[in-house]
Amino acid sequence: MRLAQHSSHQVNYSKSLNFIFNNKRYKGYEGDTLASALLANDALLFTRSFKYGRKRGLIAAGVEEPNALVSLEIGGRYTPNLKATEITLYDGLSAVSASNPNAFDMRAFIKPLHRFMPAGFYYKTFIKQKVWAKVEDSIRAFSGFSKAPTEEDVDVYDHIFHHAEVVVIGGGAAGISAALEVLNNSQKERVILVDERSQLGGELFNEFSSDEAAMKWHKDSINRLLSFANESSERFTLLTQSTAYAWHDQNFIEVLETITTAESLTSSEPEKARKIVHRIRAKEVILATGAHERPMLFQANDLTNIMLSQSVRRYLHEYGVISGKKVVIYGNNDSIYSTARDLYVNDIECIVVDVRSSEGPIEIGAELKHSGVKVLQGYSIVKALGSHRIKGVEIKQTKLQDNGWHVFGDTQTLSCDLLATSGGFNPVVHLDCHNGAKTYFDEVSQSFLPQQERDNREVCGAVAGAGAWQDAIIDAKNKAQFTLNALGVVSKLKQEILSENYSNYFNISQFFTPKEIMNMPKVFLDLQNDVTTLDVALSIREGYRSIEHIKRYTAMGFGTDQGKTGNINGIAVAAELLKTPLSALGTTTFRPAYTGVDFGAMAGREIGDFFDPQRYTTIHDSHVASGAEFEVVGQWHRPWYYPKTGENMHQAVHRECLAARTSLGMMDASTLGKIDVQGSDAREFLSRVYTNAWMKLAPGSCRYGLMCNEKGMIIDDGVSACINDNHFIMTTTTGGAASVYSALEMWLQTEWSDLDVHLNSITDQYSTVAVVGPNARKLMKLLCQDVDFERKNFKFMQWRQGMVCGVDARIMRISFSGELAYEINVEANYGRYIWDQVAIAGEKWNITPYGTESMHVLRAEKGYIIVGQDTDGSMTPMDVNMSWILAKDKPYSYVGRRSFSISALRTEDRLQLVGLLTKDSSTVIPEGAHVIDNKAKSIGYVTSSYFSPILDRSIAMAQIQGGLAKIDETVLVKIVQKKQGLKEIPCEISSSVFYDIEGEKVDGND
Amino acid sequence: MLLIHCPYCKESRDQSEFSPAGEAFIARPKNPEGISDDEWADYVFYRTNHKGNHWEQWVHANGCRKYFLVERSTISHQILQVAPFGARNSETEL
Repeated sequence: MRLAQHSSHQVNYSKSLNFIFNNKRYKGYEGDTLASALLANDALLFTRSFKYGRKRGLIAAGVEEPNALVSLEIGGRYTPNLKATEITLYDGLSAVSASNPNAFDMRAFIKPLHRFMPAGFYYKTFIKQKVWAKVEDSIRAFSGFSKAPTEEDVDVYDHIFHHAEVVVIGGGAAGISAALEVLNNSQKERVILVDERSQLGGELFNEFSSDEAAMKWHKDSINRLLSFANESSERFTLLTQSTAYAWHDQNFIEVLETITTAESLTSSEPEKARKIVHRIRAKEVILATGAHERPMLFQANDLTNIMLSQSVRRYLHEYGVISGKKVVIYGNNDSIYSTARDLYVNDIECIVVDVRSSEGPIEIGAELKHSGVKVLQGYSIVKALGSHRIKGVEIKQTKLQDNGWHVFGDTQTLSCDLLATSGGFNPVVHLDCHNGAKTYFDEVSQSFLPQQERDNREVCGAVAGAGAWQDAIIDAKNKAQFTLNALGVVSKLKQEILSENYSNYFNISQFFTPKEIMNMPKVFLDLQNDVTTLDVALSIREGYRSIEHIKRYTAMGFGTDQGKTGNINGIAVAAELLKTPLSALGTTTFRPAYTGVDFGAMAGREIGDFFDPQRYTTIHDSHVASGAEFEVVGQWHRPWYYPKTGENMHQAVHRECLAARTSLGMMDASTLGKIDVQGSDAREFLSRVYTNAWMKLAPGSCRYGLMCNEKGMIIDDGVSACINDNHFIMTTTTGGAASVYSALEMWLQTEWSDLDVHLNSITDQYSTVAVVGPNARKLMKLLCQDVDFERKNFKFMQWRQGMVCGVDARIMRISFSGELAYEINVEANYGRYIWDQVAIAGEKWNITPYGTESMHVLRAEKGYIIVGQDTDGSMTPMDVNMSWILAKDKPYSYVGRRSFSISALRTEDRLQLVGLLTKDSSTVIPEGAHVIDNKAKSIGYVTSSYFSPILDRSIAMAQIQGGLAKIDETVLVKIVQKKQGLKEIPCEISSSVFYDIEGEKVDGND
Repeated sequence: MLLIHCPYCKESRDQSEFSPAGEAFIARPKNPEGISDDEWADYVFYRTNHKGNHWEQWVHANGCRKYFLVERSTISHQILQVAPFGARNSETEL
């Protein structure tokens, strides 16, 4: 219900808004949250609880709310599991409960069984009994959370990076004061103030709304801050509706700003961001994050309309909303008296129940007495009455006896329709703990406070234990002086005196829950996960002692609220049961994120085309025009195969392979990594990083090299060309280019700084067109007149400089297919031109472009490995039957060599690369299939498998244990087929060279 | 995300520009064939995994491509100092 005569700085009553919640229409006002607007409409029910399906309503007004989870909007704007207290109302808003409180619910139906569902119930009942897989879906349907989105997010999210000298987190009295102190006493230091609410002021408006001095200070301070912001956005940035959700190392702070206005949802500017992640690097951080109130514990403390005392006041002051007519206010500290006063001045009937038997605050106490407000001291609420909504409370007298707190005497009943409770305050230490700070238990404020001293950060206000607003602002000024001093801005520190009851302002009684109450059922600690005091007791009976274990056993604090209201109470209960001081038990670990962060906001604009860079060769457009299908290798888009009309992949590859074997093929090889190696020690360098000899390679020649790491495992291969004694061009695999380049730099810079060698990546600077097939020489003669292509003058593994179609080119006679082949390397911008010229000149031999798939078939026919496909980082050159490439007499022990003599790399049962021929030549084995021995035990797996058009049969390569000694043996390959089930394919182990074993084709036929 | 000062570029840049490259001061044995398998394995595989201040190698991968030395606390991730390669050869050397 909304108060008739209410003026608010928060809500604009002249602008009403329509919205829909759980398919019902409601009205609210500009400035409302979804929670306040629903409360004003007496819509109290929000959800059903996670485990027992109990109906729940709001308990808080801010981010600490555990119950009011809703999903917002539908379709591409659907956002699950938001707290209604965090959603700013806008016209046309539509939201649904995460778990509909009005629908029929199985869990409520099985109510008599709840006492058999303690902590660990699901594990003990289903997982231990191995039936979890069968029941998981139906149990998860009850989880109490929103369904996952099914459509693509249509909203736009941004990332903004900031650097600042000072970041103040929290815009309450302390945060405002700290920011002002820094701004007033510095000239150019950049300051950012971050606050999660839409208006600065924090709890000033609630706890101190009747204090005229506080209100005046607030008004003046805000004006001053705004004038700083208006003067220079560089100097001062104010981020409201912005939650600092993580604080990482080196003062790196992440903030989520929410821009939820009707305009942002219906805006005609589609690029306007809905949420923004601000990433801030700060030199100094001032934490003024305040405190969350914690509830009192009693039976059935989860009934609807049992709320936190300060939250009741926040709804009242900021939104003019109160959800009851007769209120009981229950707690263990002085703030409940202020709540009572705030209610009675608004003509709301209330009763104060104080567990403390000592006097409450004298001034307000007298005021309440004068106004006829009933105050019961030395009483505890033992039970809330009502089925869903609270109807009253049962209270008993409370006292301290030798072994703890007890309730005694007759039960009295008080009727009420709203219960406000306050069990003290939990400083919001979360952010401070994100990057390693510890907390300590402070007996005076009965709370876990952040550790005192840390580099580059100060804490002030309620998070540091302050109670009164005057203390908070003085504390903040003092701390800001330290910050200014750390920045070197002020040298002489100004420090004002804090009041004596700085952390004792609320006079909070010692943390306790009477034994009789702790042993009752349904005393809920964590409302979102339905964790009760009995669950904590059970976990202790089952032997858990660490609070981290108790948390995991009971799931306390695992919800989306991360236990903001419930955890400290749970820890206190555990401490009492374990007879351990709270200070010794400590807290669970606070981890980012402090509140939920949308995946969309994390991704920002780095989605779709911006997710990962795409690389295209300069010939790409021609491939597209030819109708090529592409595959992504690394970030490169490489032609996969070039289907003609009506052809499938198999048919296209068949045609392409035969063309290269019988006449002429062409391929875009530009993506291979190319590294320019120069310097007087270039030759020595190559002989250190490759396994074979390089000292005698003459200019004009090329050589294949295999590269290992120091563990002796193959990491890359490729051909290097000797340009002159001081200059080589190395090629690497397409996928390995970056890592090889980085590894080579590491050797040069960290171990071999004495070598005169310089590296440069030239992958993007050259385009490479490979001309492949028996007619390649004839074609090259047509294209290039100044090079002698005769086979005896331009041999295999040589390169020549020449003009190809008028373009300066390096022509390398190297082959990845076993056929006569030339690779024409030209400056990248000429790539497309050369490609087209080759295609035109090759027409009379029916030149056929082929892609990576045919390249794979052609190389497999020759038994050439692909590093990363036939090897996996655990294969030595010996394992792939390439011992021939290991130089024996190089003076420098090349990289990896020493490892080859380690016994583990010499055992006979290592996986070794061999060929595999299926008995039925038409069967193509799926890659990855396991090879099994006669006992059905896996002895390896298939790494490459194709149908070879030239051989008219299937071929495969496999890593098989001791395979090289098993040539000609028969083995089985086991595969699983979708319909036929398991199938075993008989195969013969063979050499991995299938075609042209003598190597005669490489010279062509002319 | 760390902010790392490159001693070559003489600028503090975001961690995304850098790559870590393992523990520092692991020298390749001068004569690999002359040492035992255990000694070789120690060089190839074993690292101290030190808790506390730790010297390591980083490379300014998306910058100047230079490798350099970083002393970093493995507890707080605070970077205590950076040095170009060759400025020191062990933890104790100044």
